[in-house]
Amino acid sequence: MSATLPLLVLLTLAAGAWLAAWLDRLIATGRIEPLAPLRVGAALLLRQRVTTEAPDAMNWRLAPAWYLALAAVGLSVVPFAPGAALIDSPVGIVVWGSCEALTVVTVFLHGWSPNAPFPLIGAYRYAAIGLPVMLPSMFVLIAAALPAESLSLVAVVESQREAWNLVRQPLGLPLFLLVGLTLTLRGPFDYADGEDLAGGTSAEDSGPGRALWQLARLAMLVAFSAMAAAVFLGGPLGPWLPGPVWLWLKTAGIMALTVAAGHWLARTTPGRMLTLLWVGLLPLSFLHLAIAGALAL
Amino acid sequence: MRDAFVIALVLFAVWTGWRVFRVDSMVRASFSLMLSFFAVGAIGVLLSAPYIGVATVFMMAVEMMVMAIFMVMFMMNPAGLNPMSMVHQHRLSIGAGAAAFAALAAAALLSELPDAPVPTDKAVVADLGHELLGPSMLIFETAGVTLLATMVGAVILSSRQGRYGMADQGSRPPGLEPGGEPAGRQPDESGGGHHHDHGGHG
Repeated sequence: MSATLPLLVLLTLAAGAWLAAWLDRLIATGRIEPLAPLRVGAALLLRQRVTTEAPDAMNWRLAPAWYLALAAVGLSVVPFAPGAALIDSPVGIVVWGSCEALTVVTVFLHGWSPNAPFPLIGAYRYAAIGLPVMLPSMFVLIAAALPAESLSLVAVVESQREAWNLVRQPLGLPLFLLVGLTLTLRGPFDYADGEDLAGGTSAEDSGPGRALWQLARLAMLVAFSAMAAAVFLGGPLGPWLPGPVWLWLKTAGIMALTVAAGHWLARTTPGRMLTLLWVGLLPLSFLHLAIAGALAL
Repeated sequence: MRDAFVIALVLFAVWTGWRVFRVDSMVRASFSLMLSFFAVGAIGVLLSAPYIGVATVFMMAVEMMVMAIFMVMFMMNPAGLNPMSMVHQHRLSIGAGAAAFAALAAAALLSELPDAPVPTDKAVVADLGHELLGPSMLIFETAGVTLLATMVGAVILSSRQGRYGMADQGSRPPGLEPGGEPAGRQPDESGGGHHHDHGGHG
């Protein structure tokens, strides 16, 4: 099992990114075109790269790579079978939290580095929204760690043999889905790459850089969905089928839910969203943590 | 092998820390400092302190993002991409730097540091949790509240002096020529009391 884990992580990222792109297209247009994402990606790779005046070239080139790397690191702490994660860290949940926080930094740098107005506005808008989203995320993940009495994701999965966290902590998954929408720049939380900013942080992207940034967004959706599946749906636990297959099925389910939420929920203005986050979601997630704590005692 | 990693990370931390003062933008300085802290966090992970190491990465990513935003907000450099110097008050800085280095070096050389390897089956994360929420709770809570009060106070003190004058007197853009009429829209003289409403949220 342990020898195949790196392969499993890479395979899940690649196949999951394709599935996410296909789901995106399916829900947006209703057309079943499984090869269209690959065609669009290949066309982007062949297109020329354009640049802006005096950009920070290093960060502009590296931001998509950081984003992809964060997705890969996040996925590698998820157990693919009971007791088997690529990075079996005793603080797996904190590792994932670091990936979330660094996603905000990466998206900010991606918008800051081209030295152009629309990307810069997208970057600041996203930082303002992304930072308060980190707080409910941490409360939700800490609540999930309470029944396991451990920050290790292997232990969190193991603690769900009796009942999934979705049943024990029903508020957790809906709150965590909002975090997923923020991490993958989707729908109501897409303040970075929104169409109102002509593409926001990727307004000046073109060619291979644009393809890699879009791929990284999809890969982060895969990592987020796998994390949500492991934390709330028991991850690889399940009868008859082997662990990785259960994880894939649950991951695909969360992914479809996130994509649908991204397409169907409307977005509000950044100011209203800030109020909603600080005044509504933060106390709600704290209440969720308090209930989970009382139940765990 | 572990020693080589630690030495490499120490050198990286020092180099990125030096870059903080050599780069020409607040954003670059913030994220150089972030990389420096990441190297320190990685050393923590190598020294069998996984929670402290990984939490350093997590906290510094958030803190440096906040710091980049606040520094750009209070600086005469809206985007943070125009070149500017990262050093000021040279004599005081050199003195403070030398004193801090001497004190920290003395502390490292004079204190007795444990050298026994941590047993692999020791529950270091649980031990740290019991320490933080047990005997050391008062210290950590006091430090946390003090830091929060300091941050709020610093923002309040520095935000009074706005780019176009004192914040509590209403902002007035500079003139198009020296001493001339203010540029842009004129401040509304009759409608007082609007200066509290600069959030624009909700």
